[in-house]
Amino acid sequence: MKTIRPAFVPLACCAVLALCLPPAQAQRGVDAQNRVIETQLPPAAGEIGGSGLALKARKVLTVPIEGEQYLDNGVVLVKDGKIEAVGPARTTAIPAGYQVVDVGDKWLMPGFVDLHSHVGGAMDINDMVYLTNPGLRVSTSVIPANETLRVAVAAGVTTVLFIPGSGVNCGGQGALIKTGLDTFEEALVRNPGSLKIAQAGNPERWVINPGRSFMNWNTRDMLKRGKAYAQRWKAHEEGRGARPERELQNDVFRELDAHRTQVSTHTQMYQVVLTTITMLSREFGFTAYIDHGEMAGYKSGELAKENNVNAIIGPREIEIPTRQFIEWTGSNPEAILGIAAEYQKRGVKHIGFNTDAPVVPQEELAVQATTAVRYGFDGSNLEAVRGLTIVPALTAGISDQVGCLQPGRDADILVITGDPADPREWIETVYIEGQRVYDAGTERRRW
Amino acid sequence: MIEARSMRWARWAAPLLLGALGAFAPACASGRHGTPRPGDDNDLSPLRAGETGSAILCGKIVTADEDDRVISRGMILVRNGRIAYVGPRAAVPQGYELLDCGDQWATPGMVDLHSHVHSGGFGDVNDMVLPANPDLRSSPAVRPGNSLIQVACAGGVTTLFGIPGSGTTHSGFGLVYKTKLNSPFEECVVRNPGGMKVAQSYNPERRAGDFGATRAGLSWILEDMNDKAVGATRQGRRAIELENLQKVHAGELPVLIHSAGSDGWTAAARMWQNTYGTRCVLSHGCFDAHLTAPWIAETGARVNAGPRTMDHVSTRDGAITGTAERYLAAGVQSVSLNTDAPVMPQEELFLQGTMSARLGADSYLMLKAVTIEPARQFGLDERLGSLEVGKDADIVLRTGEPLDPRARVERVIIDGKLEYDRLRDGQWF
Repeated sequence: MKTIRPAFVPLACCAVLALCLPPAQAQRGVDAQNRVIETQLPPAAGEIGGSGLALKARKVLTVPIEGEQYLDNGVVLVKDGKIEAVGPARTTAIPAGYQVVDVGDKWLMPGFVDLHSHVGGAMDINDMVYLTNPGLRVSTSVIPANETLRVAVAAGVTTVLFIPGSGVNCGGQGALIKTGLDTFEEALVRNPGSLKIAQAGNPERWVINPGRSFMNWNTRDMLKRGKAYAQRWKAHEEGRGARPERELQNDVFRELDAHRTQVSTHTQMYQVVLTTITMLSREFGFTAYIDHGEMAGYKSGELAKENNVNAIIGPREIEIPTRQFIEWTGSNPEAILGIAAEYQKRGVKHIGFNTDAPVVPQEELAVQATTAVRYGFDGSNLEAVRGLTIVPALTAGISDQVGCLQPGRDADILVITGDPADPREWIETVYIEGQRVYDAGTERRRW
Repeated sequence: MIEARSMRWARWAAPLLLGALGAFAPACASGRHGTPRPGDDNDLSPLRAGETGSAILCGKIVTADEDDRVISRGMILVRNGRIAYVGPRAAVPQGYELLDCGDQWATPGMVDLHSHVHSGGFGDVNDMVLPANPDLRSSPAVRPGNSLIQVACAGGVTTLFGIPGSGTTHSGFGLVYKTKLNSPFEECVVRNPGGMKVAQSYNPERRAGDFGATRAGLSWILEDMNDKAVGATRQGRRAIELENLQKVHAGELPVLIHSAGSDGWTAAARMWQNTYGTRCVLSHGCFDAHLTAPWIAETGARVNAGPRTMDHVSTRDGAITGTAERYLAAGVQSVSLNTDAPVMPQEELFLQGTMSARLGADSYLMLKAVTIEPARQFGLDERLGSLEVGKDADIVLRTGEPLDPRARVERVIIDGKLEYDRLRDGQWF
């Protein structure tokens, strides 16, 4: 026992230490006696508590909600994990003491946001006992910076909505998380990130193979009870009623009713997307978005436009001529159709892309935009880039925090060789909240 | 004789007239008419009775020729199925049908030297009784215009080397054919046999129990076969079953060798390039084969990379490496790309270039790696692979850069005929 003790103790101490310290701020080494040692590093430029960071680039895709979408020869100032200023290099003064990083001909742009992801942690995302589970939270399953997310980071995906599966009509609440930060508290953007509802397709496989009429009735029943619960609380808070009994299953509806979160809907076929718009958005007045936009759902595009329902397209970006599909989804195109293009054609303003990872690998989010453009989506005014960044951020109600390069936003910044929708371009460096979480120049190329 | 005289004249006159009149002038002056031939100059003469021709106007022409010419707002004249003019826009000569493609980019039809879609799927490409089959041909298995070929055409792939599989070490001879949609076999064939197929590692080893289940056995079978062919030629004999193999050793037909891994890859180069001096193209080069790139470059062997164009297993740190980039960086002079369709879908040939560019190879070289380079490797560059006068009019029109997947294929022309038109036929890919 005695012989192994000296080696064992420091190792164990280091293991404990490693759990306490985020690796970005700790450096590991070996001392003269071959013992592992860890040194605490001061925060780097741009990180919280560190000095300021000035990133200069040939092109900066700022992609705000409205206005100029990019600038040439720009500079982005980062301080304490936030974007401090963005402007032309000629006119933007870099404060003294800021570390200046000139990325030359490369571009800067905001990190991507994916609103349909199942790879945020353990895959136990379908609790299949009940058909509706508004009280379940997927936040309990998060594994921060897991291996899949680390590849996602290398592909520029910095924020995901980690959601329950679509095995039942309401799988529970999703969580908006950052992909490259090491602890749950650091990674969390908002919880609940959404209430996940799946209206057709997958939940039909549930125990009794429910039909769509029953599922619709059951979901409406849940929504009505939830809405009533939220309104009882609202009345109480406005001094018009007794304090309601706490209902864990329905708490999320208080958030929905106050538009502090949204309904992310697994919705695809025509009649199902129609229900998303008419029931969730119009009848119950929740903020809902199409989060699995595919198949012939685009046929209700005009209705989506009228009701300001955003469309997040994927994992299928295309509609193919397959005979079986006409019975199942109501669509039978003569040639390959681009789904994003069909929504765009019908006037839907905010169109984004998702992967439904691992259905499409999380790291291939940008390729979803590529495919959309190939099949007719007009990306001539950076719509493809917007669909990866500001559109999903706006849709999830977090555009004041992520999705564009504007002062006050998190410094989630990609250094990329060119347009992200061109797969020949690749990402060199990724910053999340000012931390350099990936650098292909100093570590291995992961994507 | 008349032809030869006028050609000499044109060559002498060209430099003088080029400056004054533009690239199309000498051929007008030469008075030559009819179907263009390789090496001819631009011809703007009107069509004669019985001839067919179309004038393609486009936004950009990427010729992929020796001078790497790119022409903005260009025109291509197609005369009797061949290219008669490539250059800036000019008055369309009489008789030509106008095809205005607006801003679209014209590029050469793509060529894939490693393809198995001629039979319409995975079937009918491996005759698995004997390990060496130097008298088998893939041509009887061809179904022209099958559904895989149709999508390939819509994806801009116009010429394929349709080969037997790699189930046995020598699986026979393939044919070079075009991806026409509704033409009989005879009109699709470019060269039959087009070349030989050999499989030197991995797949043929699965025939456990037979002789040749190891690489030593595979090598013995191949060397024995080669020595017999070389010996027959030396004795002035044409052995029936070795007839085509003798052509390979005489340099009349190329050989494409399925090999991968650093061991199989170098064994293939040693045998076919160094020992027998054939016109060989090493195909695949996957896994850790790229680690031998400097040595391969020294042998002068030609490389046809794919279907895996990346490796993350044999690099020490697991970083993703592009194999095409590795071969080019090591000095391999001739690098083309393949799909091994249907291993990678035939229509995704361009995407092999895209991904290789993503992993460091030059984007333009990767376009050449799916057009002129494979044509050159197989000695087909007199007819295929670039947009030059006298070559087959195999032209792809896209909405933008050929290796950018956002750019759609709008039209595909093969031997001057409009085979696929997105607006007419719908988007197939």
